[in-house]
Amino acid sequence: MSNGRPGNFRRLVRQTMTVARRDFIATVFTPTFLLFLLAPLIMVAFGAVGGMGAATMAGSSAEKTRIVALVTPTDGAALTAADKELRDMFRRREGPPVLDIVAPAADPAAQARALFQAKDRNPTAVLYGPLDRPTIVHARVSVRHADYLARLAEGVLRDRAGGPQRLSVATKTAIDPVRTGTSARGENQAAFFTVFGLFILTLMLAGQAVGTMAEERSNKVIEILAAAVPLESVFLGKLIGMFGVAILFVAFWGTIVVNVGQLLPPTFARAFADVGPATGAAFPLLFFAYFTMAYLLLGAVFLGIGAQASTPREIQMLSLPITIFQVAMFGLSQVAASQPDTTLARIAEIFPFSSPFAMAARAANKPELWPHVLALGWQLLWVAATIWIGARLFRRGVLQSGSPKFRLWGKRDTAPARG
Amino acid sequence: MSISLAVQATGLVKRFGDRNVVDGVDVAVPMGAIYGVLGPNGAGKTTTLRMLLGIIEPDAGSRSLLGYTHPRDASDQVGYLPEERGLYPGMKAVEAIAFLGALRGLDWREGRKRARVLLEDAGLGHAADQKIRKLSKGMAQLVQLLGSVVHQPELLVLDEPFSGLDPVNQERLEKLILVQRDRGATILFSTHVMAHAERLCDRLTIIAGGKARFEGTVDDARSTLPMKAHYVPHHPDPGIRALLPSDAESDGGGGWRFTLPTDGIEGTLVKLIDAGYGISGLSIERPGLHDAFVRIVGPQALEDDK
Repeated sequence: MSNGRPGNFRRLVRQTMTVARRDFIATVFTPTFLLFLLAPLIMVAFGAVGGMGAATMAGSSAEKTRIVALVTPTDGAALTAADKELRDMFRRREGPPVLDIVAPAADPAAQARALFQAKDRNPTAVLYGPLDRPTIVHARVSVRHADYLARLAEGVLRDRAGGPQRLSVATKTAIDPVRTGTSARGENQAAFFTVFGLFILTLMLAGQAVGTMAEERSNKVIEILAAAVPLESVFLGKLIGMFGVAILFVAFWGTIVVNVGQLLPPTFARAFADVGPATGAAFPLLFFAYFTMAYLLLGAVFLGIGAQASTPREIQMLSLPITIFQVAMFGLSQVAASQPDTTLARIAEIFPFSSPFAMAARAANKPELWPHVLALGWQLLWVAATIWIGARLFRRGVLQSGSPKFRLWGKRDTAPARG
Repeated sequence: MSISLAVQATGLVKRFGDRNVVDGVDVAVPMGAIYGVLGPNGAGKTTTLRMLLGIIEPDAGSRSLLGYTHPRDASDQVGYLPEERGLYPGMKAVEAIAFLGALRGLDWREGRKRARVLLEDAGLGHAADQKIRKLSKGMAQLVQLLGSVVHQPELLVLDEPFSGLDPVNQERLEKLILVQRDRGATILFSTHVMAHAERLCDRLTIIAGGKARFEGTVDDARSTLPMKAHYVPHHPDPGIRALLPSDAESDGGGGWRFTLPTDGIEGTLVKLIDAGYGISGLSIERPGLHDAFVRIVGPQALEDDK
């Protein structure tokens, strides 16, 4: 009888999608999925609480921070006037600490040092002595504050020498510069954001693939699946199912981010006016394609490795090397993003597991589209190869023996036969 | 094109390490038959079935399934119940059956419809919408079996289907197998419980130590042993021993058991009657499949089985 080859591909697709559908439904229609979906919110909430705590602590400390001048009331008034004029150049939070004028005691040097022990204020720099030869004592890290006090003294003396009137009047006109395109710096920044975004997404989502075969291993469904469906379809189906979950996650948060983005003030958009990808309108499509490839490639590696593990403990132990692997790919691709024409960038673009990140960065840096066609084909080839190798290792390591063992490089086919 | 054999395998070999787990096994399962693969634990039954189904590849030999030389090509026409039962615990019974059908190409909606009918027929209608984790082990096992037949396969392969079932469920399973046979399906199952094989199998093969030791019908297997006679004299006497065949043994109650002579029992009976011992009881006993199995497999294999 003929082997019915023409229908094989259709059957393979159907079988793959059956496995994918089961995994997607089993993941999404559970209460834990809600936790997973809202995890970034929880992360942001914890970050906000931590940030507020830190800001409160920093704020209360900043309130007490002072620069002090031990001078006569006349000099004090002049220093205060000079401080007011100079301070206008700083944003409120970026300016030097508040200036306190304190009447000098008999021994101003000792008074200045004693001020650093005061409980009611926290001086970072103290000036004493005549303004033409002031002495400034300061905390080692607050040299800028000492410079500021010195500049105030100099300003007062210059005002006294030349009079307080201004010698020039500047005319300031605010404009909104409009660029017709993105700048090279902006493209570089876009490349950085692209790689970072891809990395965060795959870090959060692809790592999940490591434990997905564990379910079939523990409830022994794997033999049913392996008998009905080629293992390659099982692996691919699981990847697609988990990818569906990832897409749901990205769509959910993408919608939120886009809507929140519209609420931001226009100045925010102007600040990023020159940041954008070199490939323009094709970029979102390329980003999605590379996200898909990054997910499938790393997911296939994790799935293949995770399938060899037979206990949750083994899977937990695998999470560290997996994270290190992802960070290494991120690091390599970051170099490609910041130095687009170097040999290292070429290596990152060609090495299959960093290729999606590096090529996404290239999409932001360079306008040509043809390399992306090549890269996507190359990456797809590696997705297929990784799934094939993973399935083959699983078939050898697990299905041919009675009791699964974590055995990637060990002796194979040594377990006793069944029945 | 019509084919006479649902499963055909020649010289199947599978090596694990330096051990031949399956060593040149031939299998020929006629279409529409119930075929048993018998053998003690560790004989290579599961490995043989896995090779036949294409789950693992043989190291040597060839096989065809429903006429396909690549077993995967026949997968939509095959139903399989593995020895290690497994279902997703979070799935409802009806969904689990539909999922198993969908893996074999059955439409999900049709699968759910058929699942409800099958569950009803199996007396499990009340469990249709219960999750697998809520079912008893026997019920879950039946659900899995229904999942293996929901797509109405031409070939049903069952690996140790009776293990873990109570007698009531074993009887249900036997009926279900016969229903599938009556529908026209071929059934291939492995077991080491002779009673089921004796009742169900049209043909069987006995595997021990990775080799096929016997192939034929149940009657053929039983015929490998001579028939036994049980004689109870009217007047018991130690002198009777001399008139009986050399393997005769006392049954401890005045009777004797011995192998039926190849030329018939008539000559022996004439001698016993002429000597005046008379006949109080006489039965000719055919050996059971169990006895044939023990003889074919050998006591050592059974020791290993224990």
